[in-house]
Amino acid sequence: MTPTLNRWLPHAAFAVLAFGAPLLLSGNRYFAFIAGITLISVLWATGMNLLYGYTGLMPMMFAGIAGISAYMTIGLAAIGWSFWGAMLVSSLAASLIGVILGLPSLRLRGFYFTLCSLVIQTVITLGFVYFVNLTNGDTGISQIPLPEMPGGGSLSGLAYDMVLAALAVIGTVVLTLIVHSQFGRRLVAIREDDGLAETLGIDVTRQKMIAFFVASVFASIGGALYAPYVGFISPRSFDVLVSLNIWLMVAFGGRGTIWGPVFGAVLLAPVPFLLQDYYTIKDVLYGLLIIGVIVMLPAGIAGGLKGPSRKAAPATLKAERAQ
Amino acid sequence: MSDAAIIIVMSTITTGIMLGVIFSLVAVGVTIVYGSIWMPNAANGQFFLLASLLAWSASVSWGLHPAVAALLVIGASVPFSYLLEILLVRRFYDVPNRNVSYFVLTLGITQILAGIFSVTYGVWSDQFQLPPIVPGVTLFGPFPIANNRLASMGIATILLAALFALLRFHRYGRALRAVFQNREAAALRGVDVRAIYRMSFILGNGVIFAGGVLFACAYSVDLTVAWTMAVTAFAIMIIGGPGSVLGALVIGMVFGFTQAIVSIFASPTIAAFSYLGAMLVILLFRPSGLFAR
Repeated sequence: MTPTLNRWLPHAAFAVLAFGAPLLLSGNRYFAFIAGITLISVLWATGMNLLYGYTGLMPMMFAGIAGISAYMTIGLAAIGWSFWGAMLVSSLAASLIGVILGLPSLRLRGFYFTLCSLVIQTVITLGFVYFVNLTNGDTGISQIPLPEMPGGGSLSGLAYDMVLAALAVIGTVVLTLIVHSQFGRRLVAIREDDGLAETLGIDVTRQKMIAFFVASVFASIGGALYAPYVGFISPRSFDVLVSLNIWLMVAFGGRGTIWGPVFGAVLLAPVPFLLQDYYTIKDVLYGLLIIGVIVMLPAGIAGGLKGPSRKAAPATLKAERAQ
Repeated sequence: MSDAAIIIVMSTITTGIMLGVIFSLVAVGVTIVYGSIWMPNAANGQFFLLASLLAWSASVSWGLHPAVAALLVIGASVPFSYLLEILLVRRFYDVPNRNVSYFVLTLGITQILAGIFSVTYGVWSDQFQLPPIVPGVTLFGPFPIANNRLASMGIATILLAALFALLRFHRYGRALRAVFQNREAAALRGVDVRAIYRMSFILGNGVIFAGGVLFACAYSVDLTVAWTMAVTAFAIMIIGGPGSVLGALVIGMVFGFTQAIVSIFASPTIAAFSYLGAMLVILLFRPSGLFAR
């Protein structure tokens, strides 16, 4: 009883915060909007955490998958589908496309996977720009209609925030369930040493593929809900810098912990909005943070201050492959 | 052949050579750094753009002669790289799996530089071009080409040849290749590994800066060139083989001509799709590249 209670207590606290913040801020639509964007970022960071924090993969095409789902949801809704049906179909489709695109690269390790995913992200972004009749190219799509409610009318304001809060909470619950399952332990084994995991009889590529699919579902649902919430999307809404920023939330908060990335998202997602007129400084600030995390905080805030890891013998003495 | 056909063929050839030498220069800069330090420099496109923009400022805003501005900017890359090496790069020399750390680090630098450019140069103008170093136009039959572009092409070719000779025959080049193949054996044979790392970082960035300046002499530059160049240089490095200067030279020229030819029939986006496709295929089936040593 007690260990279970201890495990779920933080989720209850987070749920109170997630539902409470938009309620408290509902007097000011702008602040409530920032809270909503933060909740979507929490969902994204949680999905990224499953891959970067627990599986040791750094997927740079994360935002691209969210984008595919967003464009597809809008497209299907425009030809008369219900938003929720469109969201469900698009999320599954985008996740499948993500897995199909990522499948060959999942065999690669470390930097080569990251580079491959960067290439795929670039292809997706170029695709968004190039297929003008589907995506309206660089101009982007504006005045995206809000999702409809079951009883009639459209989902907006506080009700929309509540849906986002529910999804953020569900996201953290799902991640916790995964982490404490046998599947989650296999992922951690792969993160620590994929060669050893293979020797232990774990089908590394298969496990990575499942993790990749689950994380893509997080990305896609976030993307589908992001589009009508903001009301405008363009290829820039889902480019490589967005992937990098979601990665930063995970790395800055603390990879491989449930709450570190949530904290990272809560801390970083509102920054561009709070800077208001100076929002372009966001890029410089995020860039400095990325460097700061890599140099000083390899384990994130949750892991405390440390220098770059020097566990292994100095590389001057250590055999290294030629690439 | 009619005059029109000659003009199209000549313009494709010159554009191909021009883009090819620039691509090769940047890719050689990236591959030297990756080959020695194991650092995939994702910021190469921003460094390239930085050089173009600084040369533009020095020649247009300060009124220096473009040749002086070009030399000044390439010279400035040395203290710039040295400072980066001391502040950031040096910390990771002994870290295992440092290529991922370096990749993220340089993406951070990319974001900082992109942010700075968008609030400075991005506000001032959208096209940047240096005044011509050499004025005038040469006619090849019916085809005119700016002397300036010829000069850029010549300088870039000489630079590439010099680099190739340096890395193939000079002591430094041999030491660099030794460090790439086997760091500890090279150290045992008396190579100062850290000095080689520092030299490679400075040399690699110098070459990228030279590419940026020469590009700004020949064409007008906009801010989006940075990201295109970064991805192109990575694609060339991966296809040619990481660490292979010959691979960077050959594949750089191939890419230059591909872009020039494809641009006649279709948009440059198609060329970009084809590079990225080729890069994915190489990554999946022959990750050591076509010219691996």
